Amino acid sequence: MTAHAPAVDVHHGEHHGPPPAHQSSRVSAPVLGMFLFIASEVMLFGSFFTAYFFVRVVNPDAPGWPPEGFHVPVFVAGVNTAILVTSSFTMHWALQSIKRGNRAGLQAGLVLTLAMGLTFLLTQMLEYARVGFAPRDTAFGSVFYGLTGLHGAHVFVGLTLLTVATVRAFRGHFSPEHHHGVEIPGIYWHFVDVMWIVVYATIYLL
Amino acid sequence: MLIVIGAVVAVVTTAIAIFIPWLPAQASVQRERIDFVFWLTTWISVAIFAIVAAVIIYCVFKFRVRPDDDSDGEPIHGHTGLEIAWTAVPAILVLVIGIASAVAVARNERIGPDPLRIDVTAVQFAWRFDYPNGVTSPTLRLPVDRTVLLRLTSNDVIHSFWVPEFGQKQDAVPGIFTSLVITPSKVGRYPLPCTELCGLGHALMRSAAIVMPNDEYESWLATAQDERTGVPPPDDEPEDEGEEEPEGDQEGQQDDPEDEGEESAEAGAALFAENGCGNCHTFAPAGAKATVGPNLGDLPDDEDYVRQSIVEPGAQLAKGYQNIMPPYSQLSDEQLDSLVQYLLRGSK
Amino acid sequence: MSTTIEQQHDLHATPAPRPRGTRARLLAPGWLRALWMTPLFLGIGLALVLGIRALAGWDPIWYWQPVLTVAFLTTAPLGFLAGIGCFDYWARYAVGTPTQPEDHSGHGAHSWRDYFRVNTDHKVIGTQYVVTTIFFLLAGGLLAMFVRAELARPGTQFFDPQAYNSLFSVHASLMIFLFIIPAFAGLANFVIPLMLGAPDMAFPRLNALSFWMLPIGGVIMLSSLIVGGFGAGWTGYAPLSTRGDPGSLFFQMGVQWAGASSIATALNFLVTIITMRAPGMTFWRMPLLVWANFTTSLLVVVATPFIAGSQFFAMFDRVLGTDFFTPDQGGYVLAYQHIFWFYSHPAVYIMMLPGFGIASEVISVMARKPIFGYRLMALSLMAILFLGFSVWAHHMFVSGMAGYLRVPMMITTLLIAVPTGIKVFSWLATLWEGKLHFTTPMLFALGFVSMFVIGGLSGIFLGALPIVIHTSDTYFVVAHIHYVLFGGSLFTIFAGIYYWFPKMTGRMYDERMGKLHFWLTFVGFNATFFPMHIIGVQGMQRRIADYAPEFANWNFFISVASFALGASTLIFLYNMITSWARGPRAEANPWRALTLEWQVSSPPPVFNFDEIPQVVGNPYEYGVPGARHAVLNGDRAAVEEEVRVH
Ligand code: HEA
Ligand code: HEA
Ligand code: HEC
Ligand code: CUA
Ligand SMILES: [Cu+2]
Repeated sequence: MTAHAPAVDVHHGEHHGPPPAHQSSRVSAPVLGMFLFIASEVMLFGSFFTAYFFVRVVNPDAPGWPPEGFHVPVFVAGVNTAILVTSSFTMHWALQSIKRGNRAGLQAGLVLTLAMGLTFLLTQMLEYARVGFAPRDTAFGSVFYGLTGLHGAHVFVGLTLLTVATVRAFRGHFSPEHHHGVEIPGIYWHFVDVMWIVVYATIYLL
Repeated sequence: MLIVIGAVVAVVTTAIAIFIPWLPAQASVQRERIDFVFWLTTWISVAIFAIVAAVIIYCVFKFRVRPDDDSDGEPIHGHTGLEIAWTAVPAILVLVIGIASAVAVARNERIGPDPLRIDVTAVQFAWRFDYPNGVTSPTLRLPVDRTVLLRLTSNDVIHSFWVPEFGQKQDAVPGIFTSLVITPSKVGRYPLPCTELCGLGHALMRSAAIVMPNDEYESWLATAQDERTGVPPPDDEPEDEGEEEPEGDQEGQQDDPEDEGEESAEAGAALFAENGCGNCHTFAPAGAKATVGPNLGDLPDDEDYVRQSIVEPGAQLAKGYQNIMPPYSQLSDEQLDSLVQYLLRGSK
Repeated sequence: MSTTIEQQHDLHATPAPRPRGTRARLLAPGWLRALWMTPLFLGIGLALVLGIRALAGWDPIWYWQPVLTVAFLTTAPLGFLAGIGCFDYWARYAVGTPTQPEDHSGHGAHSWRDYFRVNTDHKVIGTQYVVTTIFFLLAGGLLAMFVRAELARPGTQFFDPQAYNSLFSVHASLMIFLFIIPAFAGLANFVIPLMLGAPDMAFPRLNALSFWMLPIGGVIMLSSLIVGGFGAGWTGYAPLSTRGDPGSLFFQMGVQWAGASSIATALNFLVTIITMRAPGMTFWRMPLLVWANFTTSLLVVVATPFIAGSQFFAMFDRVLGTDFFTPDQGGYVLAYQHIFWFYSHPAVYIMMLPGFGIASEVISVMARKPIFGYRLMALSLMAILFLGFSVWAHHMFVSGMAGYLRVPMMITTLLIAVPTGIKVFSWLATLWEGKLHFTTPMLFALGFVSMFVIGGLSGIFLGALPIVIHTSDTYFVVAHIHYVLFGGSLFTIFAGIYYWFPKMTGRMYDERMGKLHFWLTFVGFNATFFPMHIIGVQGMQRRIADYAPEFANWNFFISVASFALGASTLIFLYNMITSWARGPRAEANPWRALTLEWQVSSPPPVFNFDEIPQVVGNPYEYGVPGARHAVLNGDRAAVEEEVRVH
């Protein structure tokens, strides 16, 4: 009845771990995990865009976008967009550097990316302070703050991940062979960046 | 054997389908089409359930093994023909249901050339029906055999209009207008519950739909219009229509004021019943026993306070209660007077 | 409970060394650290809210809604997670100090206490999940008993309307978010790595975090009862949920925690299934349970963010005063329902597909036959997945949404009957000419097939437009809910728990008590929920504390039956507890199953396999002479033989 051969203790001595798992896909687990997480995040943004869609398009008596008396700082946000897009390139540079074993490039790239991300976030906050309306001022205000705020939260998370990568980069971690710790925050950062372009286009430009 | 079991299951389920009174009495043209789709789906479901149940029961008896039998079954991996069949047949059946449904709904939403238009406004926890000539009523009165087009909205949260005998249901949503078409086909008085959870008073948010012969409806409308600023609409017992006894309807029970008094008291009692005050309050003279709001038998002897409590309930909250009573600002001054008098007389 | 792996196996991992000294003990991950970290984080949350309000000059500075949301429902739970030790590894990683991937002290359970610690072993986590969720089943069931007590007679007896509304809202929320969904996740957690021939999940630490977020969600939802509960139903429709009772915040945040937990688990399943299958385990050789969880996890990852979104909006409307659902400020009320149902319809398949997987496993083994039409079974899961995303508006047929959405959504809704029917008929064909063993899991699986068909057919009624216009928001819907969720999901969960009980605990449950449990549940279930169809069609709305007197008799009958149904659960409980404590030792493979989890000892060794197995065939080849699913433990000759033959 028992198909099981009693557990043979094959590894005596030092080895305490499990047998290494069989790798059944070419994608590595952390990278796949990050992509799935991003899929989930895209859907979270999707729900906010759905709210936007209903408030702006479906609602029969929507008062225009932005409604009279409201102004969105298209130009400042445009500059901010440029900053964020640039930071994606520095991020890419950081990753390429470590792949070639260039630690200084890695460090510089990460620090630059961090700095630009912070600039973006601070500008966003200043914009909030100056924009002249609050989340509680009509559904337009709610959606505006909802989407930009959600994105801001993602920039914050991205910055946290980048800080971790930077700390480790300065502590001498990562190598041309092992750089998941840079690659994965990088993927997330590119996502945050692309998402901003969509948010910017729908909220400010359209 | 399999077929016998299948037949038995089918007979039993059919009996359940036929002998249990499933649908409430039919009182609208729309309900006829709804019932048609209902029974169509029922027969398809009975057939499918009979097949599934018969196969299971048959297998249970035919293929059970003794515990010590360790052999395996015949390794059948599949059968393309069968698999195609049980993909195609259900697909056809559901498409039949789908087409029948689409047709029925399309027909049910035809309004015809000259529908009666009534605006329906829901508030926590009462209904208001506004007729084209300005008459306002807390119950829905309809002439028989004439298509009505209800235009619904809500002042606070989502409510839902339903009359089981009409089979038609529609949410009343704040901020937008929704519509519903009904062609009543039978005189009588039917319950009109709110079916969307709308807060504490949801269970008690019941009104009535009263279908009257055309001439009676016209005369009600005319009197109601004349007396709009004065006496409330006449009591709505369907004495002459006769056929339908009010069933399970709170207001039906509260219609008779226990308190025999002067005219304004009667008017007050009628208003109390019409507006569903008894859904939330205890008030002995009206036989009301609900406990959502305070007992109106203990009101302070302060006319202004009581009046304000009705028109603007949030202004001064009774201790220990939440601000959920709907404002009854649609009542006219005279109506308010008689209501306040009625309440104060009933209080100690 | 007395069973530990120690007694059966030589260990590959050493238990964690006990911390010495007060300081070390306070700093070591565990309940003690959680005890001080939770209030610490609570304080941080308070400071955050009050600080921001003071800086921004908002009045009043002390405003309980944001305080409650941020400090009590967000940062304090985070403090608990940090204290219990969910983040230790990552924190060490983040600051760049050495981490110890070779340390397996958080792996495997050496005593019952290990079940109360952060453990990264998928088997321990699976057990933690199942036990926790059964607790919530009891809590939710108890609330249902209160509901039925109130409904036994018309009028108000035990609960005022607010209390009643909270009862069924919390009942449903617990059942859905803290019982059905995570119970499936728990069983799958235990079984999937074993079935795949993997030593653990892809991200064991994330797995532990997912588990520990769950009780947080549950405690939040339960504690809403202290502040008066939330009374907007488990659907929490705005604008009802954005005003009135403070309990709604608990619902909104509880859902976020439970949702985050299930997204993390689903992601973990997907990565595990894609990247960690044993050699030879192609997708077409995976057991159907794995397939079912694969599709379910796709649903979870893609759909769950939508409920998070809907709850964020409702919460912002209340806490920040936003106007997402305020019509006179440009908000749009129906947006809530669209966003909510875009998750919550797929969610009903999240609550059913894993059950389909369990039923497939049990029926095939107990009928001693290969699953009929294996590939079509897997493909129909995929079909349900895709169709499931295109039907959400069938919950909104009377809501006043755009009229042109109705007929297309009705057709897709009805079409779901086709892939589901394929599954039902394939199970029946699997039974045909089989050698049926009526063990408790098999009884529950067959009960599931028959009851789910009733629930599915009532779903067809609800999918047909004219009928749903009449029956929406009545007890007919309540009957549908319970036939699919109780007769469907819960029956399969029972089947799964009985089926894997020997594997999880190393003990055998009491078969006679199991059968008694089944029959009482089956009869009680039908007596409770079948009459609900009738009163629903006749005109009784749902979610009412008081009803018209004409429904009194049926309701009384239903209430009595429901108490019997509740009592039957106590038998289950008794059986589980006593059997776990002192049931007879279970064999490795009591059901003579072919799938991999049965090829190792009961309970399995700490690292599942001494050597990753080689998969050589399909998982359900019962009755095929000489067929094997996999070859284990260095049986190299056999492996080469098999590989050559196939
Ligand atoms: C496990 C959970 C689960 C499952 C699997 C289902 C499955 C289905 N549900 Fe259900 N549903 C719920 C849980 C579930 N539901 C819940 C919780 C609610 C209420 C939410 C709330 O408001 O609180 C709800 C509400 C609900 C509504 C909204 C009612 C309303 O509020 O107005 C509708 C309407 O279309 C519906 C339809 C369906 C359909 C068509 C299926 C189909 O998937 C069923 C398919 C299965 C079969 C049909 C049976 C097997 C098939 C055959 C044997 C083949 C032959 C069949 C035919 C030819 C017909 N459901
Ligand atoms: C998986 C889901 C699930 C399960 C298992 C159940 C189980 C039960 N449900 Fe529930 N129910 C829902 C999901 C579920 N329900 C949902 C989604 C709704 C809709 C809510 C809404 O409208 O928002 C609903 C609504 C609902 C209503 C309608 C309320 C209303 O609309 O007003 C009713 C009424 O009878 C009801 C009854 C029951 C009963 C009697 C059980 C029984 O099966 C319960 C059996 C009892 C137990 C399993 C536990 C027994 C425990 C004890 C005896 C005590 C021992 C315990 C301790 C000491 C801790 N449920
Ligand atoms: C949905 C439930 C509900 C309905 C319907 C309702 N009330 Fe009330 N009522 C309340 C509640 C709750 C309070 C207590 C809170 C407050 O003072 O507003 C209250 C308070 C009052 C008070 C003040 C009582 C006191 O002791 O201070 C009066 C008077 C009153 N209602 C009269 C009426 C009348 C007349 C009607 C019908 C026309 C009515 N109510 C309908 C719920 C309701
Ligand atoms: Cu109004 Cu329920
Ligand atoms: Cu659905």
